[in-house]
Amino acid sequence: MSEFLNLDREGKAQKQLQKRSVFLFLLVSVFGIVTLFQLVKLTIIDSTLYTTLSDENRIIRVPIYPSRGLIKLSNDEIVTENIVSQALTMVPAKTQDMEKILRELRADLLIDDKQLLALKEKIINKPSSYERVVIVENLSPEQIAKFSVEKDKWPNLSIEARLMRFNLLGPLFSHVLGYVGQINLEEIEDSKDFAYPLSFLTGKTGVEKFYEEDMRGGVGYKTIEVDVNGKEIRELNRVVPNKGRDVYLTLDKELQKLARKELTGRKGAVVALDPNTGFIKALVSSPDFNPNILNKTESGDLETIFNDLNSPLFNRAISGNYPPASTIKPFIGLLGLKEGEIDWNTTIEDKGFFQLNEDGRKYRGWKEDGHGMVNLSKSIIVSSDVFFYQLAVQLTVDRIATFLKQFGFGLKTGVDLYAEVEGILPDRKWKLGAIGESWFVGDTLNMGIGQGYISCTPLQLAVAISSIATRGKIYKPKVVAKIGEEYIEKELIFEISSIKQTDWAKLESSMVSVISDWRGTAYNLAEIAENKIAGKTGTAQIKSLTDEELTVREEYEDVRQEESNRDHALFVGYGPVPEPELTVVVIVENGESGSAVAAPIAQKLIDNYLSRNN
Amino acid sequence: MSGKAPLDYQLNTSFGNKRPTLSKVLIDPILVFSLLTLLVFGLFVLFSASGQLTSMVFRQSIYIVIGLLLMFIISRLDQSVYKSFLMHFFWLGLILLIWVLLFPAEGYKTDRWINLGFISFQPSEVLRLLLPLAAASYLTRNQRRPSVKDWCIILSAILVSSFLIYKQPDLGTSLIVLASGCIPVFLAGFPLLTLFILIALILISSPFLWANLSPYMQQRVITLFNPESDLLGAGWNISQSKTAIGSGGFMGKGYLDGTQSQLDFIPESHSDFIFSVIGEEFGFLGIILLFLVYGIILYRVFKIAFNSSTEFSRLTVSSIGFVFLIYILINVSMTVGTLPVVGVPLPLISQGGTSVLMHLVAFGFVLSMKRRQTW
Repeated sequence: MSEFLNLDREGKAQKQLQKRSVFLFLLVSVFGIVTLFQLVKLTIIDSTLYTTLSDENRIIRVPIYPSRGLIKLSNDEIVTENIVSQALTMVPAKTQDMEKILRELRADLLIDDKQLLALKEKIINKPSSYERVVIVENLSPEQIAKFSVEKDKWPNLSIEARLMRFNLLGPLFSHVLGYVGQINLEEIEDSKDFAYPLSFLTGKTGVEKFYEEDMRGGVGYKTIEVDVNGKEIRELNRVVPNKGRDVYLTLDKELQKLARKELTGRKGAVVALDPNTGFIKALVSSPDFNPNILNKTESGDLETIFNDLNSPLFNRAISGNYPPASTIKPFIGLLGLKEGEIDWNTTIEDKGFFQLNEDGRKYRGWKEDGHGMVNLSKSIIVSSDVFFYQLAVQLTVDRIATFLKQFGFGLKTGVDLYAEVEGILPDRKWKLGAIGESWFVGDTLNMGIGQGYISCTPLQLAVAISSIATRGKIYKPKVVAKIGEEYIEKELIFEISSIKQTDWAKLESSMVSVISDWRGTAYNLAEIAENKIAGKTGTAQIKSLTDEELTVREEYEDVRQEESNRDHALFVGYGPVPEPELTVVVIVENGESGSAVAAPIAQKLIDNYLSRNN
Repeated sequence: MSGKAPLDYQLNTSFGNKRPTLSKVLIDPILVFSLLTLLVFGLFVLFSASGQLTSMVFRQSIYIVIGLLLMFIISRLDQSVYKSFLMHFFWLGLILLIWVLLFPAEGYKTDRWINLGFISFQPSEVLRLLLPLAAASYLTRNQRRPSVKDWCIILSAILVSSFLIYKQPDLGTSLIVLASGCIPVFLAGFPLLTLFILIALILISSPFLWANLSPYMQQRVITLFNPESDLLGAGWNISQSKTAIGSGGFMGKGYLDGTQSQLDFIPESHSDFIFSVIGEEFGFLGIILLFLVYGIILYRVFKIAFNSSTEFSRLTVSSIGFVFLIYILINVSMTVGTLPVVGVPLPLISQGGTSVLMHLVAFGFVLSMKRRQTW
């Protein structure tokens, strides 16, 4: 009986178990179906999306940058080369706790806070966080050793060799070569055909900037597979980069050295170029700087360079505005001849001053009691101001401005360097706009002796003076003669044809007499000169003698006690005569005397150049 | 597998068997071969998932061999041998749990424990298979319907165990232990009305429970619903796992060719996330084949359960079947992002000695109870 009941109970329990099993199974199946649907969605419906995600995880296209073209001299001597520097890099996207890593690095590798802050900013501004970011440049051997020992701590950091710029001649060509620096976002946006990474170095000034496109080459790529730590597992494919082209300078190392030596300790500029081609042989701006410090291949204090009150980074040769002073006189004379206002025999009396009318204001010449009877030739030799006051008044500002423009005054020369300025070639319209006053005859007088509003760069002056040597041919000045295998041609930008050959010749002989004639302003050169040169001195006044309160000479002397008030010394010239090969412009700021300070430098440069080229 | 069907048939029809047949030795050849297939497949997957570490595969193989031996030995036993004391295994599990709670540092750091593969959560691994066996054994210890007292005792035992695991703290495992314990209770005929009341009570108190969860646990649940919110942090696991499975597509990337797996993008790819490796390298097709093998195993287990003659074996075997099914479901669901990541290994495939050992022991009991049927 009990056994029967028991069997009955067991049958009921078995049925209950089966019913509940089915119920539980159905309940579980509901979840199962959701998960199964998710599986179908992942592997079939959205598979393409996840394939992309998975590829993005592991496949990275790493640009391969070509080595930057070298800068050489025309004799193949290397001026700027690429040197290998070890940099610590990181992939931000793979870095989970950036702050912690930076803290550890600061403690273990002795990286300073300034670098870390800059790095954080760089990472924030980064378009792709999968690109490697440079944390520290130029690792020291100790830092490399420390990193190597502990590198397991930071799997997403690695040391990468980077090519840096090193100038073998240090500061010698500083203003010509310029320097390179980390590219900024603006520069990246401007370069559509070259994908710069943020850690890339790009030319910031000088040849490095102007020939950036030639020297940088073309980016290649390698597609690599990385693991979860960003470590390269294997290379998938590679597009070889195009090597950057080498750039050959027109400059003459020895001439540059001499010019730099002559300007040492002074502020000023020297430009020497071949008048027949426009190729620049020396370009010095003093003081200069060591580009390697800015390139970060030599240690040095950047702050000192940037904060120096003498502005060593300022390229005076192409960006400095100076009054041409008396060096303008040959051009004014040429215009007088061309316009028929004077001929070579026209003579006036230089009594030391010029008056527009009998009892008008006295415009003084540089020599108090004058030069006596002067014609054009003598006026150039002795640098008579009064002759040119008179001539300028006759010519008027309109004709002077138009004519000077033909020589390149007021225009950029188009030299292959950045930061060139165009100087000021004033005329009536200019003065009304810039000063807000109408033109006075006094302004014309000043312009006749290269003072007042007119200003130009040493390079502009060199181009203008060269045109006398070439009888009117004006070539675009260049610092680069060859890019890769391609030679740069000389470029005639203007030819002045309105001047008679005899006038060119006579002007040249007058300028030769500036040195050779005992009355000449640069007669002091006659003793040291090895070659016959044509030249013209200039003394640019900072504080004008015509200023009412400075008419008394003693006061003028007082003013000149302050060095920065002293006149700029100028000399322009070329040689040898005949068949000139080199034009030289020397400007020494506050050098006071064109003949004593500037002229000997020019003569030495020409003599040095010719002694090696003949 | 279909080739084995005649053997099975022969087993059921031949009475005076003169020589040991395959069916006699293996008891349920289809089930055993399915398990072996899964284990061998699992070793291959593990080789790929571990970053091709033969040492890990070797270690796992040793556990599998031990597990198979235990399974074989247990399958030889008559259920009457263990039926009465299976419920006392519960005490063993409880002692281990308390031990871990009292001496966590010693337990975790002593070399002997690590060498043996016993790490801190290991007792809970043992318990989540022992608990349903003990519960089934307890509820069917005599031929009566379980009394109210029986229900209370068994529920208390389950709650105490899961609470101890929650204290470790391991919410995921504690919930799974709770679920595994409740399966035999539900199947044994727990009063439905009381069940509904209990469920209602849990639902009402759930906001309170949520507030009591540790922020770490809360974060894990929140991340499930929006894994993209924190790609480098908590969402990384789910997102990488989904990417792996999704990129595998229908056919998979091929064995050892899964980029997510081989390049370490999948975290815990050898243990909890091994399913992602299968999905990536073998694709949807591979997953379906895997499910098919799991399906065959489950089908055989439930067939044994429903054909069993004793209440004890019916309840024990069906509980084992459901625990196995729920493990698979939870593991797969968490790797595809439909359930939170709770740390459940994929049965018989994930790396982990205790897990494999316990599952094979459970199948040993299943086989032993099938053996009973042939008598």
